Amino acid sequence: MGEVIVITSGKGGVGKTTTTANLGVALAQLGLKTCLVDADIGLRNLDVVLGLENRIVYDLVDVVEGFCRLRQALIRDKRLEGLSLLPAAQTKDKTSVTPEQMRGVTEELRAEFDYVLVDSPAGIEQGFKNAIAGADHALIVATPEVASVRDADRIIGLLEAAEIPPARLIVNRLRPGMVRKGDMMSVDDIVDILAIDLIGVVPEDEQIVVTTNRGEPAALSQGSRAGEAYRAVARRIRGEEVPFAEFGEPAGLFGRLRRMFGQA
Amino acid sequence: MSQVTHASEDVGRDGSRREAALYVRRTLRAGQRIAHDGDVVVLGDVHAGAEIRAAGDVLVFGQLRGVVHAGADGGDGAMVCAWRLQPLQLRIGHVIARPPDAYEDVPDAPEIARVEHGQVVIERAARPEDGRMARG
Ligand SMILES: Nc1ncnc2c1ncn2[C@@H]1O[C@H](COP(=O)(O)OP(=O)(O)OP(=O)(O)O)[C@@H](O)[C@H]1O
Ligand SMILES: [Mg+2]
Repeated sequence: MGEVIVITSGKGGVGKTTTTANLGVALAQLGLKTCLVDADIGLRNLDVVLGLENRIVYDLVDVVEGFCRLRQALIRDKRLEGLSLLPAAQTKDKTSVTPEQMRGVTEELRAEFDYVLVDSPAGIEQGFKNAIAGADHALIVATPEVASVRDADRIIGLLEAAEIPPARLIVNRLRPGMVRKGDMMSVDDIVDILAIDLIGVVPEDEQIVVTTNRGEPAALSQGSRAGEAYRAVARRIRGEEVPFAEFGEPAGLFGRLRRMFGQA
Repeated sequence: MSQVTHASEDVGRDGSRREAALYVRRTLRAGQRIAHDGDVVVLGDVHAGAEIRAAGDVLVFGQLRGVVHAGADGGDGAMVCAWRLQPLQLRIGHVIARPPDAYEDVPDAPEIARVEHGQVVIERAARPEDGRMARG
């Protein structure tokens, strides 16, 4: 039986879809059967980020309304064995699916996949409730901004109330230079405020923008720092102890890494 | 205070009867709100964006970063105590206080806030040298 993980944030535009796509790629690269579910009905874009838009025939709403079987709606990524997408409907809205139906879909998926990642819409309304309905765990995405961290805190409270076990945190779009100058919250500041476990730190990386526009998640190819960070998150999800790289300027990186790894 | 109280009741310092203290055995996160017609004791942190409104005192066995209103029914005699007192806003009875913008000088020690001469004053709850609670 696979695990269902919801990727959520409260605040919009902080990187949920980017995270879902890249983690899906990274888990599939580890040889794990992974299904990505776009729960952002009406504003779908996980398919675009994955470059699978032109292969959509049926979607999540078609499945719950009984127009097609779940299997027919799944799109297999031809670039990467083991990665599939269940796309959202673009023409419907969030009330066209209920939490109960969503749970039914994730239950069916977990029988076939090792991991089911659900990309949640922003907010705390119906779309969010649908997205968390069938989840065993949650990953919270937050950027180093007060509003994002505050919304993340709110979401963690709601997840606790829904009895979804302690969420783990991904800090996205970190800019180490700004942190050093004191112009941006540090990862430690955020972890201190939210008091949850950290599972990943993803730096601000133009490769995300470039690869997103091409429909090829950064984690697909080597050589991007964000892609590398997502690969580390995937291994931590597997239970591996992966040290956190500190994203410093190239010159100081080595010494700092040694300090992080406790070898200096 | 040597008065006998009912199990479900408490007697405030001013002698008024209210509900027994409410124990909150978890951390309060942004968007969560507690209102109680008596004292409130939090065994956890109170995050920024969380809110407590108590007719009596508020004691936080953790970090207090949210908004607290003690003595919400108008009791200026109420107090707020926290292991780390760094609220966004503090209201005691009729008095509203906003702490200075920077928190760099928050001591690493429990503190008590109360109203004196119409102003919120904050003092250390424990003196490290004798290791016990200061008397109010
Ligand atoms: N680490 C990063 N570095 C640079 N740009 C990023 C990074 N992460 C995300 N972005 C950019 O930020 C924008 C928002 O990202 P994304 O769509 O993943 O957010 P979201 O949380 O899914 O948004 P929504 O709430 O609208 O669903 C995108 O343009 C994306 O390319
Ligand atoms: Mg999105």
